[in-house]
Amino acid sequence: MRTKRLPDTPGLPGRRGLPRLARPPAVALVCLGLFLLCCAFVPRFASFGNIENVLRVASILCVVACGQAVVILLGGIEFSFGASAALASVVTVTALPALGPVGGLAAGGASVIAIGAVNGFLVGRLALPPVIVTLGTLMMASGAAAWLVGGLPIDAPPSAAFSWPARGRVLGVPVPILAALLACAALHLMLAHGRIGRLWYHVGANPVAARLAGLDVTRITTLGYAVAGAFCAVGAIILTSRVASGQPALAPNLPFETIAACAIGGLPLSGGRGRVSQVVFGVLTVAMLNNAVVLINLPVAWQLVLLGLAVLAAVGLQKDWAALARLARRRGR
Amino acid sequence: MTPRSTGRARFLVAPAAIVLAAGLFGLASPGFLSLDNGLSMAGQIWILALLAVGQMFAIAARGFDISVGAVAALSGTLGAMAANAVGLPGLLVAVPVGLACGTVNGWLIGRARFQPIVATLGTLLAVKGLALLVSDDGQVVPLEEAARAAGLSFDAVAGLPPLGWAALAAVGLAHVVLRHMLVGRRILMLGSNPEAVALVGAVPWRIEMSAYQLCGAFAGLAGALMTARAGAGLPTEGAGMELQSIAAAVIGGTMLAGGRANVWAVLAGATFVQVVLTGLNLSGVSPFIAQIAVGAVIIASGLMDAGLRSFLTRLSRLSPPKGTFR
Repeated sequence: MRTKRLPDTPGLPGRRGLPRLARPPAVALVCLGLFLLCCAFVPRFASFGNIENVLRVASILCVVACGQAVVILLGGIEFSFGASAALASVVTVTALPALGPVGGLAAGGASVIAIGAVNGFLVGRLALPPVIVTLGTLMMASGAAAWLVGGLPIDAPPSAAFSWPARGRVLGVPVPILAALLACAALHLMLAHGRIGRLWYHVGANPVAARLAGLDVTRITTLGYAVAGAFCAVGAIILTSRVASGQPALAPNLPFETIAACAIGGLPLSGGRGRVSQVVFGVLTVAMLNNAVVLINLPVAWQLVLLGLAVLAAVGLQKDWAALARLARRRGR
Repeated sequence: MTPRSTGRARFLVAPAAIVLAAGLFGLASPGFLSLDNGLSMAGQIWILALLAVGQMFAIAARGFDISVGAVAALSGTLGAMAANAVGLPGLLVAVPVGLACGTVNGWLIGRARFQPIVATLGTLLAVKGLALLVSDDGQVVPLEEAARAAGLSFDAVAGLPPLGWAALAAVGLAHVVLRHMLVGRRILMLGSNPEAVALVGAVPWRIEMSAYQLCGAFAGLAGALMTARAGAGLPTEGAGMELQSIAAAVIGGTMLAGGRANVWAVLAGATFVQVVLTGLNLSGVSPFIAQIAVGAVIIASGLMDAGLRSFLTRLSRLSPPKGTFR
């Protein structure tokens, strides 16, 4: 077992001399390289409008990826995000006449959090594999979403409050981008400075040890999945507001894209390690790839192919780096 | 180790579940228990059965393959193209295509030590994209000999359509591979104790790779069957099949921790899923509710595995295993 380096751990022997400033993750280089490549070779990429567009798309992905990151830190994986976002949009639009735009969006968000909490309970309390649990709730959420509206999308009556999450601006900054910044800040506070983040790292790194140390693994895991659901809920609210309708097939690729973003960012899917900056750069990489495919006029299916290859390449490179580091350490000894 | 008699109990869950579900649906809708319905279901289960049997190999080797649905779609589409070029036997191109996808998965997982979920997620995305690319963004590829393919897949000969018999033969072959051939025994050995595989002189990563190759080949076969039944290659089909195949394999007693599997029980697991789907359909329940039910079945299968595991270990007076596994 490799020793896990926990963030914000002053006083570890041998680490005292290291500067406290966080080193940028390796994916930042990949991201920067891709950005320069796109600027140089992709037509119309480096315009202000397009960059804002990329950021706008990336911001939704980023909010949800923050949730995915929590689950991955816990050593799990979350497939139900797309389906629960679809359920949220349907619930929102169904509840709209009775509750008004704010209440409707809140109801939609609450349904996502509830699904997350159920996932967390099943994984944490009953020790079921996360894959099975979240695939099962994916099925159930998308079935429920389709059943509520009879399988067809329904339109929402337009209103200013309803479209604010997707189209509004605060001090000139689009609300989705603001939401992404806030989500990243919140996750960073939880992970690097909060007690709950520390507990997530512990449980993700070694659930058995965490249990033996007297931690309530069930509660920590359930809370983690529920917080992940809350991040996804924010993303779902923005998405619903953007499409202005209840879509039972909203964002089917959302879980894949967020997992890919985390994997590309360098979060090991075995859990216990990871920082917010990695997630951010992973998200930017995915968003740029998707944008570049569209701008080069390739068939959209290339997005999927490239995403798959990028995940495999990223995880493969991580493994090689780890092997190289081990080799170097052995040499040094 | 659990004694043999208690260890076998897990394989009886699926048949018991079938009897229970069939009884309930028989009460709810009288047509369910008719011979006609039985025969029609017997013709329907094979796509899921083949996927589940393939999935069983992956789960028995302590893994997962969530790319089977996408692999079936890609291989079915390529099979349809080949069949249009060289005649109906060309459909079998689907098997090597599936095998190739399985080989990629197996190499990544066995040799490059990727986590199964990451490797198969990557291939899921890539293969899904490829299926769209080869088919001009998801256009179906109609079979030229669709009538003959439909005859083979729907007209019953001695109870089952010819392709049903072929699928049954493939399932029987899987049984022979798992029970009586070295590679199958080694896959089970790898699932229950990976160190032991190395100790007896086998190469663990090759064994693991062959598990995913078998999984891919069966997914390819399922793709061919899918194409024959639909009369066209369907590049966007197969989403959700991976879930059903995992559910069927796990209800069929395949241990999620690896090392225990039985092909006939998995066939019963696939039958159970089909019984639930058909039964809900005949009871006039909305297909969307049926989807919710399938989701519940998946989670129930996980609960069943966990419950059986702790029950059987308590029975054999060992402390229950602690911690989660992936």
